[in-house]
Amino acid sequence: MRSFEHPVYLIVPCPFYHPKKRPLLTYALRRLLYLPLSLFLLSLLCFGLRAITPGDPVESQLPAADSRMATTDPAAYDASYRRAAAALGYDLPTFYFSVENAALPDTLHRISQPAERRMLRALTLASGNWPAVEMYYFELRKAAYSESSEDNLNVVPITRRLLLQNDPAAMTAAMNTLPDGPLTAPLKAAYSRVMDGKQRSQLLLPALRWHGSNNQYHRWLGKILKGDFGNSYLDRRPVAAKVGRAMRWTLLLNGITIFLVYLIALPMGLYAAGYRSSRFDRYSTTLLFLMFGLPSFWIATLVANYFTTPAFGMDFFPSMGFGDIPDGASWWSVLSIRASHLFLPVVCLAYPSLAYVSRHLRRSAVKELDQAYVTTARLKGLTMSQILWRHVFRNASFPIITLLGGLFPALLAGSVLIERIFNLPGMGQLLYTAAMGRDWPIVIMLVLLNGLLTAAGLLLADLAYAFTDPRVRLGGSSTTTSSNTVA
Amino acid sequence: MARWWLIGLLLVALLADFIANDRPLIASVNDEVRFPVFHEYGQALGLVDNYAPVVRNWQRAKTDWAVWPPVPYAAGSTDLKNSNYRSPFGTQDTGERARHWLGTDKLGRDVTAGLIRGTRVAVLVGFGSVLISLLLGIPLGGIAGFFGNDGLRAPRYHWWGWTVGGVLGLLYASVSLLPYFGLESRWAILLLLLVAFVLGGLLLRSIFSLLSPLKKETAFPADTVVLQGVELFVNIPALVLLIALIAIVNRPSIGIVVLIIGVLRWPSVARYLRSELLRIRSLPYIDAARVSGIPKWRILFRHALPNALGPLMVVSSFALGGAILLEAFLSFLGIGIPADEVTWGSLLRQSRTYPQAWWIAVFPGLLLTVTVLAANLLGEEG
Repeated sequence: MRSFEHPVYLIVPCPFYHPKKRPLLTYALRRLLYLPLSLFLLSLLCFGLRAITPGDPVESQLPAADSRMATTDPAAYDASYRRAAAALGYDLPTFYFSVENAALPDTLHRISQPAERRMLRALTLASGNWPAVEMYYFELRKAAYSESSEDNLNVVPITRRLLLQNDPAAMTAAMNTLPDGPLTAPLKAAYSRVMDGKQRSQLLLPALRWHGSNNQYHRWLGKILKGDFGNSYLDRRPVAAKVGRAMRWTLLLNGITIFLVYLIALPMGLYAAGYRSSRFDRYSTTLLFLMFGLPSFWIATLVANYFTTPAFGMDFFPSMGFGDIPDGASWWSVLSIRASHLFLPVVCLAYPSLAYVSRHLRRSAVKELDQAYVTTARLKGLTMSQILWRHVFRNASFPIITLLGGLFPALLAGSVLIERIFNLPGMGQLLYTAAMGRDWPIVIMLVLLNGLLTAAGLLLADLAYAFTDPRVRLGGSSTTTSSNTVA
Repeated sequence: MARWWLIGLLLVALLADFIANDRPLIASVNDEVRFPVFHEYGQALGLVDNYAPVVRNWQRAKTDWAVWPPVPYAAGSTDLKNSNYRSPFGTQDTGERARHWLGTDKLGRDVTAGLIRGTRVAVLVGFGSVLISLLLGIPLGGIAGFFGNDGLRAPRYHWWGWTVGGVLGLLYASVSLLPYFGLESRWAILLLLLVAFVLGGLLLRSIFSLLSPLKKETAFPADTVVLQGVELFVNIPALVLLIALIAIVNRPSIGIVVLIIGVLRWPSVARYLRSELLRIRSLPYIDAARVSGIPKWRILFRHALPNALGPLMVVSSFALGGAILLEAFLSFLGIGIPADEVTWGSLLRQSRTYPQAWWIAVFPGLLLTVTVLAANLLGEEG
């Protein structure tokens, strides 16, 4: 431990004082500029996810009667599909601009059925001759939507399949099986013109196309910014209401958890550091190490298996949900019902974070206790408790502040499991069911919300860190310790 | 201790087929000595044909003698005589075969064999994803830490030429050249993209080098670029995104899980390596190397990086534990890992349907816990 060889420590309490300090405001503004950029990238990511997801969102919105028409009356089906796609904005270009092959027409997005669009795209990219492809498409639709009769019995099914076929080799094979007739002669002529390969040099040109603000991304983002997240695919209820209801429970669960974590972890870490290598320190350090490594979902599974089911006659706790509150229940019975439902989930959610925070605090408090100011305080005759809470705590708690920023998103992620295991109707459970059911509006809203919370949590933690600790050289590269605690 | 546990896990994963299998290691059938487990590897590689009279069920086959693996059951195979959750200590109807040491599940599948199979998945996901995050994080973090914002100096046309030209080359190749040449093979496409990147970069660099405003020498802000990339990644809610991404993938596969976990974790590797190299680059021996005229890239790769890699390996064992935990978590939820794959997490999930079978809940969890603790302990040493 340092003593009085360096009297300068008594004047300047901090050995790593940085005289070159950037103003806080600049730093805050720079970080704030970052937030929209991150969120913009996140929104692009979500939009991309929506675009590459299997399944056809337009078809899932069509009434059942219209979907059945796909086989019986494809022309009418195409018309109603077109209307639905237009209503949902799916016939617009995807983004503000596109970099494409110049052989592709700039109006391809108006073909609303994705399979047909893929077919046209593949054909054009194989031949480079869009006018011929367009002609072929016209003939193909004429044949596919024609009335089945005796003489074109095979034509209709083959051409309907051709409308969805995007492999040129398979197209040629199917074309050869078509019988000759009044309908198929122009079709075959058009196809051979597509495949003659005279225009392939067209493919060598790229084109940058500007679509303006009337595009799918712009509309989607505009709706989201206005708070309209659309309806759930599964039950057609508004997404915002579903998420809002689930969020209430998750916030309750996580709020209690964070409160408990800090309530227990702070004294534990501080006293373990203060009475270093005492029996309490040795036991608590081992215990915390074990707790940190113990997978919470295993413990949660065990606890849920044995304490909420009658398997071994130990069903001390109710097994599902947050409990039903009967009408006119007294505040005491409300509290006890809620507590009995919340106890196990909160314990399982809290103990890893508790170990994490407590271990961090101990480590940084041990470092602080080696400083000269602690010796001074001890010489003044302060008790260990006073030293710990009045002097060491403030200095040692800076890392804890940044932890809080990472803790919140980590807890939200952790509650996916806890809510699954204990059957709680929160955001984690919602995310799970939505992701499994490919309910994209909900998944996207949850990803965006989580991203917003993560970014905001990290930002707030960094700013709080900067406000409380004057030593932090903000904007400098190495000192901002945005910690990433996702297990 | 911790190290040996992880090495043992690796060995179990590599030798899983020889430890738990429902066919013998060596068996003699009609005076013909067969090596059924080895033979499977040969068949998978296309080296050997089937043994002439095919033995479908080795348990019932008549053999002169046979050497069985320590656990004579395979992870997926059912033992209907011992179905409906037989306890490890209860009565088991196994006849001459070994007992189910750790019990069975509803269909009579052996839990020990399941655990050994699960070890293979855990090791694959753990080591694989750490490897990917190291492959991404070491170059980025190394360049950021070693060169900082002013270590890489070149004329402006060099930086602008390579970034703009490379990106334009890639775009042109993917938009126009790929359909024109109609390439099918993945390697050919990759090669074409690479060639386009290099040609585009070289071309634009030589054009830009003629412009006088771009001739001024500047430094490439490697540190800022990498740190900003890290910050953007940190803002992504990793787990939520992971669930969303994996749920999209039509056919779940372990490879995709490994890839996603690895890619999401590179920032922590890059950040650690960067701070290590910040420290190392100001050490005297680096200055000595610089003064003696060794090229800077050579200093980075031959002198600075090797000294940073040791501590990085130790710290990345944290990431190993985290990845194994994440894999168990995902297979517990039933996301991403193929449904027929037996893993520690999928065993735990089974225990949810029948809580009385404590052996299905306790043993996989214990294995997982000890592994995570071992990884953390190893990381703590660094």
